[in-house]
Amino acid sequence: MTGLLAQATTKGPPINWEALSPFIALVAGGCIVLLVGLARSAFIRRQVVPVLTLLTLGATAGLGVWQWDINEGIVANAMVVDNLTLALTMIFVAGGIAAVFLSWRSIASAEAGEGEYYALMLMSILGMLVLVAANDLVVLFIGFELLSIPLYVLCATHMRREQSLESGLKYLIIGSVGSATLLYGLAMLYGAAGGTNYGDIAAVAAEMADDTLFMVGIGLVLAGLAFKASVAPFHQWTPDVYEGAPTPVTGFMAVATKAAAFGVIIRLFVGPLIDATTTWAPAFATLAVITIIVGNVGALGQSSLKRMLAYSSVAQAGYMIAGVVVTTQLGIAATVFYLAIYVVMNLAAFAVITARERETGLGDDISSLYGLGRDRPFLAWPMTIAMLALAGFPVTAGFFGKIYLINAAVNNGYGWLGVVIVVGSAISLAYYLRVVAAVWMREAPAASTSLSAVPIMAGGSPEGDEAAYAAGREPGADVGRVVSEDFGEPSIITSGPRISQPEVIFVAVFCALVTIAFGVYPEPLMDVARDAGEALQSLR
Amino acid sequence: MSVTTLGWLVLLTPLAGSVLIGLTFKALPQRVHGALGTAAIGLAFVFAVLMFFGLQDRGEEERQLVSVAWDYANTVGVDAQLAILIDPLSVLMCLVVTGVSTLIHLYSFSYMGGDRGYTRFFAYLNFFVFSMLLLVLAANFFLLIVGWAFVGAASYMLISFWYRRTTATAAGIKAFVINVAGDVGLVLGAYFIFQGTNSLDFLTSFERVGEAFTENQTELVAGCILLLVGAFAKSAQVPFHTWLPDAMEGPTPVSSLIHAATMVTAGVYLIARLHPLFEHAPDAAMVGSIIGCATLLIAATIGLVVTDLKRVIAYSTMSQIGYMIMAVSSAVYAAGMFHLMTHAFFKALLFMAAGSVISAMGGNQDLDRMSGFRKVMPFTFACMVIGGLALSGIPPFSGFFSKDEILAYMIDRGGVYLVMAILGYVGALMTAFYTFRMIFRAFFGKMSPEAEELSHGHLYHAPEPTNPANGEVEDTEVGFPGPEHHIAERAGGMKIAMGGLAVLAIVGGFVQIPGVTSALHDFLHPTFHDSELFEEIHPSHTAEWIGLAIGALIGAAGIFAAWTIYGKGGNAASFQARLKPVHTFFVNKWFFDEAIDFLIVRPAAWMGRFANSTFERLFVNGALVGGSSGAIRALSAAVRSIQSGYLRYYAALLLIGFSGLGAYFLISA
Repeated sequence: MTGLLAQATTKGPPINWEALSPFIALVAGGCIVLLVGLARSAFIRRQVVPVLTLLTLGATAGLGVWQWDINEGIVANAMVVDNLTLALTMIFVAGGIAAVFLSWRSIASAEAGEGEYYALMLMSILGMLVLVAANDLVVLFIGFELLSIPLYVLCATHMRREQSLESGLKYLIIGSVGSATLLYGLAMLYGAAGGTNYGDIAAVAAEMADDTLFMVGIGLVLAGLAFKASVAPFHQWTPDVYEGAPTPVTGFMAVATKAAAFGVIIRLFVGPLIDATTTWAPAFATLAVITIIVGNVGALGQSSLKRMLAYSSVAQAGYMIAGVVVTTQLGIAATVFYLAIYVVMNLAAFAVITARERETGLGDDISSLYGLGRDRPFLAWPMTIAMLALAGFPVTAGFFGKIYLINAAVNNGYGWLGVVIVVGSAISLAYYLRVVAAVWMREAPAASTSLSAVPIMAGGSPEGDEAAYAAGREPGADVGRVVSEDFGEPSIITSGPRISQPEVIFVAVFCALVTIAFGVYPEPLMDVARDAGEALQSLR
Repeated sequence: MSVTTLGWLVLLTPLAGSVLIGLTFKALPQRVHGALGTAAIGLAFVFAVLMFFGLQDRGEEERQLVSVAWDYANTVGVDAQLAILIDPLSVLMCLVVTGVSTLIHLYSFSYMGGDRGYTRFFAYLNFFVFSMLLLVLAANFFLLIVGWAFVGAASYMLISFWYRRTTATAAGIKAFVINVAGDVGLVLGAYFIFQGTNSLDFLTSFERVGEAFTENQTELVAGCILLLVGAFAKSAQVPFHTWLPDAMEGPTPVSSLIHAATMVTAGVYLIARLHPLFEHAPDAAMVGSIIGCATLLIAATIGLVVTDLKRVIAYSTMSQIGYMIMAVSSAVYAAGMFHLMTHAFFKALLFMAAGSVISAMGGNQDLDRMSGFRKVMPFTFACMVIGGLALSGIPPFSGFFSKDEILAYMIDRGGVYLVMAILGYVGALMTAFYTFRMIFRAFFGKMSPEAEELSHGHLYHAPEPTNPANGEVEDTEVGFPGPEHHIAERAGGMKIAMGGLAVLAIVGGFVQIPGVTSALHDFLHPTFHDSELFEEIHPSHTAEWIGLAIGALIGAAGIFAAWTIYGKGGNAASFQARLKPVHTFFVNKWFFDEAIDFLIVRPAAWMGRFANSTFERLFVNGALVGGSSGAIRALSAAVRSIQSGYLRYYAALLLIGFSGLGAYFLISA
C-alpha cells in the first residue's frame, strides 16, 4: 500500500504539455489579467487589461491551430484534445474576442473592475474548453461549474442596475438546480458503469441500454446539459438572464455557452453513449420539436431585442439538436458549422444593440433601431444581415447552416425533423423581419432633451456620476426607462449623439462580412467542420 | 489560368459589375458607372475569348468540362450543385453574349446619356448579362432554372425601365407573366426528366436517358414538351409570343440586347443543349419543328403590315428565331447555332440603327411619320442597309450563309422537313420584303419635318415629351426617358458599337462557307458527339450552294418588290384596299392577343374571382391563414404567460421537465 502510494507520488501520469498548452495559456492569461487589473492607473485598467485579454485569447487560438490534428487523450485520458475540441475552442475564442471589444467601454466592466471582469471571462472560456475536452465525468462536471460560476458573476456586473443583479441571481439559483440535476445524473452513470471515464461508460453502454439506473442517469444528464443549451422546457432562465445581463456578456453567453453545451452533448452522447442511441435519440428529437416551437413562438411580439434574441437562441438550439440526434459525422459537421456561423450572426446583432444602447438611451428596445437605415449604414447593414442570416436567407451563411443541418437530418431518417426546422424558420421570419423593418422602414423619432450631453457610457466614472446626479438620474441607470417619469413631460430620448465606438462597429461590420463571405463560399468553414466531425471516428 | 477558372470569371465579372454599380450609386458620377458596366462586360468577353482558346488547346474528347464549386444538396438522390459546364456550345454562347453585350453597353453609354436612370440602367444591364451567362453555363437543371428565372426578372426590370409610363409597366408585367408560365413548364419538364434519370446533372442525365426511357416514352415526350413550353415562352414562339412586340416599350438598347441578340435565343440554346433528350423523343422534337415553322410564317406576315419601327424588327426577330427553333428541333444544330450567332450581329445592328432614327424623330417610333432620313443620317442608313441585307439573305452578308444553310439541311433531311423548308423560303421572301419596306419608308422619299430639321444641323426635340404609344404627356424626370436624344452620327460610343456590329454582320458568315470551311460545325462537334443526326444530315456542297442561290434570289425578289411599291415614297394603300380582310387580320396580329384574352385570361380571371370569393376567403384566409396564425399567436401567448419572472415557477417547470425525461427513460427501460 505504502509502496503504491510512493509510486503514485513520484510518478504521475504522463502529461502532453503541448496538447495542454491552450488550457495553460488561458489560466496564465487569466492570472495576469487579474493582477494587472489591480493597478491604480486608469489607463492600465481601461486599456492594457483588455489588450492583455485579447493577447491571451489570441495565444489560445494560436496554440490551438498549432495542435490541430493531434487527436489524443491527455492527462491520463481524462481529457481529449482533438479537432472537435480545437474547432470549438476557436468558436469560444471568437466569442471571447468579440465580447472584449464590446466590453471595452462598457459600464459593466468599469463597475466590476476590469481585472475581475476580464479574468472571469477568461476563466469561463477555460471552463468551456475543459467541458468539451472532458473525457471523464468528473472533469465534465468541473468544466461545467468552471464555465457557469464566472458567468453568474458576469451577469451581475452592471451592479447599479437592478435588472442586472436580478439576472445574475436568477441565473445562479436556476443554474444550481441544473447543476444538481446534472451531477445526480453523472452519479447514476458512474453507479451503472462502475467508472467515471468515458471509456468505462462506452464499454457498458450497449448491454446497459435498458438498465433502469443507466437510463435515468442518461435522462438527468440530458436534462442538465439541455438546461445549459437552453433547450425547452429547460429554457426559462434564458430570456430573463439575457435581458438583464450587460449586453456584451449576453452576446458572449449566447454564442460561447451554446457552443460549449453542444460540444459536451456531442462528446458525451455521440461518444460513449452512442450504443444507447435508440433510447435517447427519440427523447432528444422530441425536445428539439418542443424547443423549435417554443423558441419561435416565444420570440414573436417581443419588443426587447435581447429577449427576442434569447428566444431565437432557444429556437436555434432546437435546430442544432437535429445535427446531434442523427449521430453521423455529417451531423456533427453540420452542428459545428452552425455553431460557428451562429457566433458571427449573433455577435453582429449584439454589437449593433450595444452601440445603440449607448447612443439612444432606449436600452435594447426595438425602437432604438428606428431610422438606422437612413443615416447609419454601418449599423443598419450588419443588423439586417444578421437577422436575414438567422432566418436562413440565401447569400448568408445562415442559409448553408440550415441546409447542412436539414441535409444531415434527412440523410439519416430524420426527415420529419427537417420539416419542423423549415416550419420553425417560417415562423421565425415574423420576428426577424420585424427588426429589418424597424431598421429600414421606420423614421427615427425627432431627437429631444438635453441628455445628449451625458453619454450613457460615462456611468461608473466620477464625472459621469456627477453629471447624472445633476440631471436627476441614477448614475449608470438605464436612461430610457427612467427619463419619461422624472422629467414630468413625456419625452423619449432617441437618437443621441454619435459616440465614437469604432471597436463595436468593427465587430458588427466584421461579423456581417464573415456571414456574407461564408454564405457565398462556405467550403473553407465546412472543411474545418468536417475535420471536427471526423474526430469522432466511430461514426459513419 | 485553367479553362474552368476562366469560366467562373466570365460568370462573376458581370455580377461584380452589377453589385459594384449598385453599391456605389451615390458615390460615383453616372458616366463612371457606364464605363464600369461596359468594362465589366468587356472583361468578361476577354475571359470568354481566353476560355475559347483554352478549350481549343485540349483534345477533342476533353472539351466537355464540369467544374463544381460546391454541393447545395446531395441527399436522398438529389444532386444539386453549383456547377458550370464548359463545352463548345456554352463557349459559343458566352462569346456571342459577352461580345454583343459589350458593344451594346458601349452604345448605351452614349444613347442613354441624360436619362435620369442611367446608373440603374447599367446595374440592370450587367445583372442581365450575368443571368444570361448563368443560364448558358449551368451544368444542371437546377442552375439552369435559376438562370432562366433571373433572365426573366432582368427582362421585366428592363422592359419596365421607364416605370412611370403605364404602357411600359403593363408590357413588363405581360412579359413576366408569360415568361413565368414558361418557367413552370421548364420546372415541370426538368422534374419529368429527373424522375426518369435520377440526376439533375446534364451530362449524367444524357447518359442515362437511353436506359431510363424507351424511345418516345410518354413521360419523356411529356417532359420534353414541357421543356419546349419554357423555350417557347422565352423565345417568343407561337402562342407564347405576344409579350415580345410589347417589350419594345423598353429602351432601344434593351430591345437590341435582350429581345434580339441574347435572351430570346435562350430557347434555341435550351433545345441544342438538351438534344440527347429530344433525339430520344422525336415526337416532342417534331412539335418544336412545327411551332418554329409556324412562328416564322405568322411573325413574317405581321411584320408586313406593322407600322411601328421597332415592332417591325421585333416581329422579324420572332420570325428568325422561328427558323432557329425549327432548325435545332430538326437536329440541324450547327446551322441553327450559326444563324443564332449571325442573327445576334445583324439584328442588334438593326435595333441600334432604329434607335438612332427614333432619337432623330424625338422619340417617335411611327413608320408613317418617318421618311427621307437617307441624306441626313448616312451612317445610320448604311448600318440599316447592311443589317437589312444580312437579314434578307443577300450574299455575301452573314445571314445569307446561315439562314439558307438551315433550309438546305432541312431539305436534305427530306419528308415533312422538306415542306417546312419550302415554307421557310416563303418566309424568306416576306422577310426581305418587310425589311426593305421599313428601310425605304424611313430613309427614302420626301424628308419629314424632323429630317428637315436635322439637315439644318439641329436635332429634333419634341416641345413637350409624350409617350409615343398613347400620346400621354410626360416629363423627363426619373422613370421617363431623359430630355436628350442621341443619334449615331453625333455620338462616338454609338458609332463604334454600330460600326463593329456592321463589320460582324458582313463577315460573320464566313466561318461557315459550303465547300470552303466548316469551322463552326467542327467546333461544335464535341458537344454533339453523341448525336447520330449531327453527322448524318449533311447535304452535298452542290446541294447547299443550290439552296443558297435560291435563298439569295428569293431575297432579291423580296427587295425588288419592296422597291416597286415603296421605293419612290409610295405606299400600299391599293393593296390594302384590295385585300382588306387579310390586312385587317395581319394588322391585328392574327388576333392572338384577343384569343388569349378570350381563352385564357377571362376564364382564369373568372375562376380567380370565384375562387377568391369562396375558396380563398373561407378556406385559405379563414382556416389556413387565420387558423395557423391564430394557433401560433395562442402558443406565443401561452409561452409568454408561463414566463412569469418568478423563480419558483421556473424551478417547477424545470422539475416537471426532469421528471418527464426521467419518466420517459424509466418507461423505455
